Amino acid sequence: MLKVEHLSMVYPDGTIALRDVSFEVKEGEFLGIIGLSGSGKSTLLRCINRLLEPSEGKIIWNGRDITHIDQSELRMVRREIGMVFQQFNLVKRSSVMVNVLSGRLGYTPPSWSLINRFSRADRALAVAALERVGIADKANNRADELSGGQQQRVGIARALMQQPKMILADEPVASLDPVLSHSILGYLEKLNKEDNITVLCSLHFLDLVQRYSTRVIGLRSGKLVFEGGKKDIAEISDSRFKEIYGEEAQRLGVE
Amino acid sequence: MTKGIAAPRPSLLHGILSLLVPGLGQFVVGARGRGSAIFASVVVLGGLSAWTISQKARFPDFSLSFVIFAKLVFATGLLLLFLVALRALVSRFILRDASLEAFSAYGMGILYFLALVVAGNQILATAGSAEQLAFVFGGTALFAAGSLAALWLWNVADAARIGGAGLGGHLPSLALPILLVCLLVFSLGYNITRVDLPKAITEYQDISILLPRILWPWRAAFAYDQEVVEETQLIQAPCPDGAIGPPSNEPQAGEPWISATPTCGEVGVRAITGGFEPGTLLTITGGGFVPGQTVNILWKNPIGNAFRPRGVGETEILINENGEFTSQLNIPDVVIPEATASGDQIHTLVVRQEDVEVFGWRFSDDMKLALVGMLETIMMGLMATFFGMILAFPISFLAARNLMAPIVSPLNGIVGGIVGLVAGIWLGSELAGRAAEALGGLANAPIQIFLIGAVLVIGLGYAGLTLAGRLFALMLERLGGAANDTISAILLAAMIAVPGYFLGRGFSRGVMSIVQGADIAAINEQNFAYAGAILLAVLTLLYAFRNRGGRGIPIGSIIYTTTRTILNILRSVEALIYAIIFAIWVGLGPFAGMLALTLHTVASLAKLYSEAIESIEPGPLEALNATGATRLQTIVYAVIPQILPPAISFTVYRWDINVRMSTIIGFVGGGGIGFIMLQWQRLYQWELVGIAVWLIAITVATLDYVSAEIRERTI
Ligand SMILES: Nc1ncnc2c1ncn2[C@@H]1O[C@H](COP(=O)(O)OP(=O)(O)O)[C@@H](O)[C@H]1O
Ligand SMILES: [Mg+2]
Repeated sequence: MLKVEHLSMVYPDGTIALRDVSFEVKEGEFLGIIGLSGSGKSTLLRCINRLLEPSEGKIIWNGRDITHIDQSELRMVRREIGMVFQQFNLVKRSSVMVNVLSGRLGYTPPSWSLINRFSRADRALAVAALERVGIADKANNRADELSGGQQQRVGIARALMQQPKMILADEPVASLDPVLSHSILGYLEKLNKEDNITVLCSLHFLDLVQRYSTRVIGLRSGKLVFEGGKKDIAEISDSRFKEIYGEEAQRLGVE
Repeated sequence: MTKGIAAPRPSLLHGILSLLVPGLGQFVVGARGRGSAIFASVVVLGGLSAWTISQKARFPDFSLSFVIFAKLVFATGLLLLFLVALRALVSRFILRDASLEAFSAYGMGILYFLALVVAGNQILATAGSAEQLAFVFGGTALFAAGSLAALWLWNVADAARIGGAGLGGHLPSLALPILLVCLLVFSLGYNITRVDLPKAITEYQDISILLPRILWPWRAAFAYDQEVVEETQLIQAPCPDGAIGPPSNEPQAGEPWISATPTCGEVGVRAITGGFEPGTLLTITGGGFVPGQTVNILWKNPIGNAFRPRGVGETEILINENGEFTSQLNIPDVVIPEATASGDQIHTLVVRQEDVEVFGWRFSDDMKLALVGMLETIMMGLMATFFGMILAFPISFLAARNLMAPIVSPLNGIVGGIVGLVAGIWLGSELAGRAAEALGGLANAPIQIFLIGAVLVIGLGYAGLTLAGRLFALMLERLGGAANDTISAILLAAMIAVPGYFLGRGFSRGVMSIVQGADIAAINEQNFAYAGAILLAVLTLLYAFRNRGGRGIPIGSIIYTTTRTILNILRSVEALIYAIIFAIWVGLGPFAGMLALTLHTVASLAKLYSEAIESIEPGPLEALNATGATRLQTIVYAVIPQILPPAISFTVYRWDINVRMSTIIGFVGGGGIGFIMLQWQRLYQWELVGIAVWLIAITVATLDYVSAEIRERTI
């Protein structure tokens, strides 16, 4: 469903964040992306929905090259791909409901949303999305009144509003404590299994990757250094581990 | 100076160089910046000083004042050298201890200053004759010259020191010369601003009379009731033969009355030589007045002008306990105009009783005027803030770097966009013109037509921009790579040539006509216009080809920079100055003031809003971009909620400033309380000025409080 071919990304200041990365994602997969901080995980995810413009290479979405499509076509693609962020990226002063509804903007005529009108169907969808992540009672609270875990659930509900085929999650649990991490990843897993939404999720901890991913890729300094299925993750040897994380790294787990 | 470490020997050569030309020694050693700065300071300050002191004369003689100033610098320099030498001699021969100094540098500075004060007249006398000195500000010249001389000598010492030690190590501190420059500028500024302390003290009484009236003006704010009783008796004068005059009034019971006998007589005659022959003596009686009150007698001539007769008898009469009075009066001299001189001349004797004034529990007319003016002022500030806010809001997005910088458009899109924008605006204004006709002309329905026009022009302009942009991009992309780039570049160059044409013509009219004279410039005008067009077109082509195949044109950054520049220029001119222009344009009054304030408000609010936009969290913006929202939608859902609190705060703050400004914008014709206050000030109506001051103070203070409260609550 998603094919990344020879992707490279150089920031304007000359930092090379991705070097010739190629991989493929099948429908229904939960792809974990591992790598040290600074290895290019965020850059890779943002190149996929072109929040960042890749310098070279191709991104093929459902058989179509979207690397150079124009803004209006790009919006059509983006609304099929939800995104969840480490810092949640909610509008703090807006209500939870408005934050969730804003996930629907890609489907709303721009002139309508100018005067804050969402259709009744959209509102129903938003309530359903909030119920799915278990915070329907917070709909009218301001987003910054919620705890971190709750905010990330709002973030997931917002992505759900897009009725996405795929969700890009950029370290969705890095700002949360371990118990909440499992809860959030559990929601993503549920969406992956029940709704057949493909998930690309960058994660820090190997045990989380082992627990939730069906397949994993590893990045180091912008290069793809590891690719494997669920079995391979379990069998990552110490030497393989050091290849991904560098010589000084120690295996550390939560739980 | 630290003893023990051998201090490098100062260089005589460099010292002499700097003595001749300030800064030259430093320059030669290699301290170019230092040398140039010293040279420039001495030249500029010297010239400025000579100019300033020359301003005492009605017809300043610059060369004379320059000579005097130069001589003063020389004299004060000698004085300073003498003090330096004195210090060295005392240290060496009296203290006899090389490690001791007779007095510190500060001490020497104080001595120098005292010497200038004490021996000021003697030093001045060396610079010119008393007659010559009368043409310059002596005191200022003395202290400016003293500072400059010290600066000059410091510069010599500095050059010698640097010349000896070389550039290695750090250069000596500049604290002393900077202090000297400040002193010099201060002594000039003291003169230029005409500081006159004695005046501030001796002429205090001028204001001490007025001040109470301004500070406590409330008597003028209220109306007073006064009952006036006027009784009249008709008198004929002159009295032709056989005339009997009007009838004498009869006494009335229970109400005021007067009568006089005779009722026919001759007017007084005032000779040119100054003698006066009074007219016929009248006996006046009356009754029914308030006992104990004073009544006034007035005389009204045949054409109805009343005056108080002088020198012909009592005109202020005390009423007795029965409410009656008797008095006598000669008919005064009354000049009867030629035009009315024919026929019987009937005058009126008036007895007028004025009751005491009674506080009326109403505002006086002046106070009402002041209140209306104040209301006008507040509304002016309010409207200016309102319109300013509405206009500034959309502009602020164009002036926000974080929103504009990412906007990059391919060349073909820009070409189409410009064409579409121009076409859309043209179509919009055409349609607006039709609409205006249909509605019966601008004067008939101005607000509707303005709104319709704005919607049409902006809407069609925007539609043209997006539609044509996309259309062009599609068409040209079909042609493929090189053809697309070339055609786009040529089209863009052709379009940019149009402003180039006008810029060239403007250069010819604005610059060449000043340099060459309007006639010659007019001949070459077309050439300049074409040159401008070609120049910009070529530059555009070069730019387009260099960026070929790249990310496109950073159109967002271009718009951002242009907007910011315009806003900065607009903001650097005060609203008061705009008001002068608008008062000419739309006439004196609050409308001119409002327009002026609005213009300034747009510029400053747009800047403040855009800074608020630049400081928003980027996360939500990114998140909404990722959902496939359009730019407009991300602004509505991610930007506006974040900037609302600071924007409200800024707006209220600006409202505060605008009301403050609108109180004085009337001084230049902008209407409101300031306009009224200026009239009163010119009529020396100090109570009324005081009322205006009070109203302004009360309003501004209240607003200050309210706006602070609102701002506190929104953040
Ligand atoms: N806006 C940017 N400008 C320049 N360099 C950046 C920028 N963002 C990230 N980088 C660099 O790109 C590399 C990859 O960063 P990132 O994708 O954020 O890694 P990760 O998400 O794995 O921590 C790092 O070296 C980082 O310093
Ligand atoms: Mg990251």
